[in-house]
Order: sequence, then C-alpha cells, then structure tokens
Amino acid sequence: MTQHTKEEAILQVSNVALTYDRPILRDINFCIRNIVRPGFSQGQVVTLIGRSGIGKTQLFKILSGLQQPTSGQVTIHDNQPVKAGDMGVIFQNYYLFEWRTVHQSLLLAAKKNKALAGKEKQTIDEYAEQFHLTEHLGLYPNQLSGGQRQRVSIMQQLLKGSNFILLDEPFSGLDVCMLDKAVELLLQVSLSDDLKTLIIVSHDIETSVAISDTVFILGTEPGMAGATIKKEIDLIDRDLAWQKGIKQEKRFLETIEEIKGYL
Amino acid sequence: MKKIFQPFATINRQTVMIMMAVQVVITLLLWHTLSDGLIPKPGKVAGALVQLLGSKLLFDNVLVSLLLTLKAMLYSILITLLFAYLSVLPFFKSLAQFIVKCRYLTLAGLIFVFTLLTKDGSELKLSLLVFGIVPFFVTSFLSVIVNINQQEYELCKTLGYNNWQTLYEVIIIGKADQVFEILRQNFAISWLMITMVEGLSMSEGGIGTLLIKYNKYNDLTNVLALQLVIFTIGLCFDYLLGTLRHWLFPYSRLKQAKA
Repeated sequence: MTQHTKEEAILQVSNVALTYDRPILRDINFCIRNIVRPGFSQGQVVTLIGRSGIGKTQLFKILSGLQQPTSGQVTIHDNQPVKAGDMGVIFQNYYLFEWRTVHQSLLLAAKKNKALAGKEKQTIDEYAEQFHLTEHLGLYPNQLSGGQRQRVSIMQQLLKGSNFILLDEPFSGLDVCMLDKAVELLLQVSLSDDLKTLIIVSHDIETSVAISDTVFILGTEPGMAGATIKKEIDLIDRDLAWQKGIKQEKRFLETIEEIKGYL
Repeated sequence: MKKIFQPFATINRQTVMIMMAVQVVITLLLWHTLSDGLIPKPGKVAGALVQLLGSKLLFDNVLVSLLLTLKAMLYSILITLLFAYLSVLPFFKSLAQFIVKCRYLTLAGLIFVFTLLTKDGSELKLSLLVFGIVPFFVTSFLSVIVNINQQEYELCKTLGYNNWQTLYEVIIIGKADQVFEILRQNFAISWLMITMVEGLSMSEGGIGTLLIKYNKYNDLTNVLALQLVIFTIGLCFDYLLGTLRHWLFPYSRLKQAKA
C-alpha cells in the first residue's frame, strides 16, 4: 500500500436530507480528509457514484452551496457551513458566459481571488499556456469545442482560488481521445496542491474510479425512500489509487464489479 | 424544385432569391390583373412613388416622423430598462407586471387625458407614442429576463458574486444585445403607431398626416405609394438595428448561427 496518512477533515457532510414531494436524499454522512503523501503534493479525488436519476445532481448542488438541504449540513474549513462561492463548480455542459470572451471570463474569476491581486493577467497567461488555450483567449464560448470549454471551465474555477472543485459528470459526452485528456487534466489539478480536492459526481464508474482515492456509492435501500451513501470504498487501502494503467488490473475490475453490485 | 415544398428542407441562397423574385412577379401580375377602376394598378402606384420620392414634401414629412419615432424609441427604451432592471427587486415587480398589462389599454380613450397633461401637440404625440410603446418593450424584456438560463445565475454564485453583481453581469451586461433585438422587433409597433398619433396633431406634419390627407381625398394611388415608402423605411430600420446589434455584440451573431 502506498505510504500516506489521513489528517484533518476538510469537508464533512452530516445527516443531509432533501425532500420535495417525496424524499430524494436521506441520512447522507461522509467525510473527506486531507491525505498527506510523503514526497508528493497530493490532493484528494473523491467520486460519488450513483445511477441516473438517483439524486446525484441534487447532492452536487447541496455540496456546492447552490441548494439548501431540507435538513443536515455540509461544513468545510473549521466547521463553517458551505455557501455558494466556497466551491469551484464545473457544470456538466461546461457552462460559460456566452457574452464574455475566454480571457474576460477568466479575468472575472481571477479578480475574485485576492491572492492574485495585481497579477491576474500574468496568471491567466501562465494557465492558458499550461492548458493549451493561449490562442483561444480572444474567442467566445460558442467558438470553442467541448474539450476547450471544459478546460476553460476548469481554469476559471482554479483561478477563483477555491481548494474544492466539484465536477458534475465531467466525462459525459467526451470521445475516447478527449476522455484521456480530461483524466490527465484532472490528475494534473489534483497534484497541483496538497489541499486541492476534486469531487466528481458521475455514473461513469471505470473512468472516475481510476483517478480517485475514495468512492462513495449513492443508492437506495429496500423499504427506505430516498438515496443515501450505501458504501464507502477506500481505494488507497486497496492499493488502487494513484496508479497509471490501473484499469487493466484484475483487482481494479473486481472493485468495479463490486461497485456495480451496490448500484 | 421538389425541395422547396419539403418540410425543413435547406435551400441555397441563390434559390431563395429566385423564389422570392418569382413570388414578387406573381403578386404584381395578380395585382395588375385583378385591380379594377378603384384599386390603382401597380404601374400607376410605381409612377406616384417615383413622383413622391422626387418631392421635398415626402422628405420633410418622413424626417418629421423619423425624428419623432426615434425620440419616442429612446425614451421608451430608457423607461423600459429602468423598470425591467428594477423588476428583479420584489418591490418593483408588481409595477413592471402592471405595465405589461397596460398593453390592453387603448390609446383612443386616453387621448383627452394626455391632451390635458401635455402643453402642445408635439408633447402630446411623443407621450402617446411612449405610452403605447413601453408596455410592449417591457413585455419583451421581462420575457428575456424570465427565460434566463438558471446556469447563468448559478455560475455567478459559484464565482462568489452577490445578488447585485449577478444582476449587473447576467441581466445588464449579459442581455445588452437583447435590448437591440427588442428595439428591432418592436420598431414595427412604433412605426405603426406614428401614423395614428400624427393624425391627432397635424400642425407639424409627418407621414401620418400625409397619409390622412391622401385618404381624405380618396387618393388611393398616393396612399399605396406612401405605404410602400413606410414599408421600405421599416425594413431598412429592421436591417440597420440587426446589423448594429451584431457589430456591437459580436457574440450575438455566433449565438444566432448556433441556433
């Protein structure tokens, strides 16, 4: 097993429930801890897996502070309840302001980051080079491909400076080539800072699990209305985290089958 | 050939031009054939149009009407923007909704009230036009606000914007191009109303006054020639406002192309 320690809780979800005309989510409890890996600047990558229509998007919105749960709370940074703006959020279709050029959108985000005061433009240029977007800074979102929009969305949220980045179905609609690039990009982000935490909400089990250190399975239980966390799988304990080419290994495939069994 | 009668078929620009030219020719032929003594034939109307275009009378009257329309449009859009932006504040929402309902008020019954409230014919015409246009402008702009994609607000929230910053980014900046689209779509209403209000105070002239004079003497040839002028000016403004929108807000062209 790769050497590591799990330190303080950086995100705590306690007894979260959401009810509309019927219960959607109930008793959601989980905790994300800061993983320290000697010799690495290793962030956290957590995946929330569940079937379509189970309530993943609602949980995504609650985690991002965009929606208030009916009961319970999500806390970050020394027990502070999460509010909109605390988390970086990347929507499923990589939504960007269509009236802003890429550079303008990035500048809006960078200006929200006090740590970048006075060096916003320089940082944007550096990120743009890193994300291969330098030549696209003057374009509008409608002139970008799906992959380019995704990179701009990720850059925008990184520039905002939040340690948490929530991604809603980041792999849906991507072709095989783009999928590999997206995975590489997310790994690059997770390695950029010790406290950087990616929370991926997805139903693409193989791709999400391959880049995660922890998996939470959202599902329903017999006789109980509303979805809850049915199982937490620590991929580090199983020696499945932070390994390239893990998808071909037998123990990875067994874990995938195990996850499918819970859905 | 078959394609032009197929649902959702795409036809090239050249075919569209030819098709339109054929349709115009057919219309003119039908007009020429079916018009009797009372309705002037197209050739006669064309002659009157040429004569009208060469006269100072038309130029002066069109100028008066255009200036009045532009002035009314300017005031109307300013009032509209004020109420539309304020409509996101609960206190002003009901007021904006009341303005929307004012579309059902008829101007005819209110002319006397406006006459009492204004000091001269020029002010009367302007206030009637503004009163007539604003409800339509506000209706269009409120519909733009209501149909804003929820993700635009959510992106603002995730970027840490407060409600005032969201209002500025999503509605004021984000929908600035729509102001021109509303102007373009509703220019027809103001252009339609100008002929009516100009009939109320004829001292300053205008195409409405001219139209009423021709109508009074049953000069249908000049009435139709003038209608052609009004129609053409309307089309020119439609094109001008559309072009201006794309020039000022280049992303609006991309949005349209994608749609």
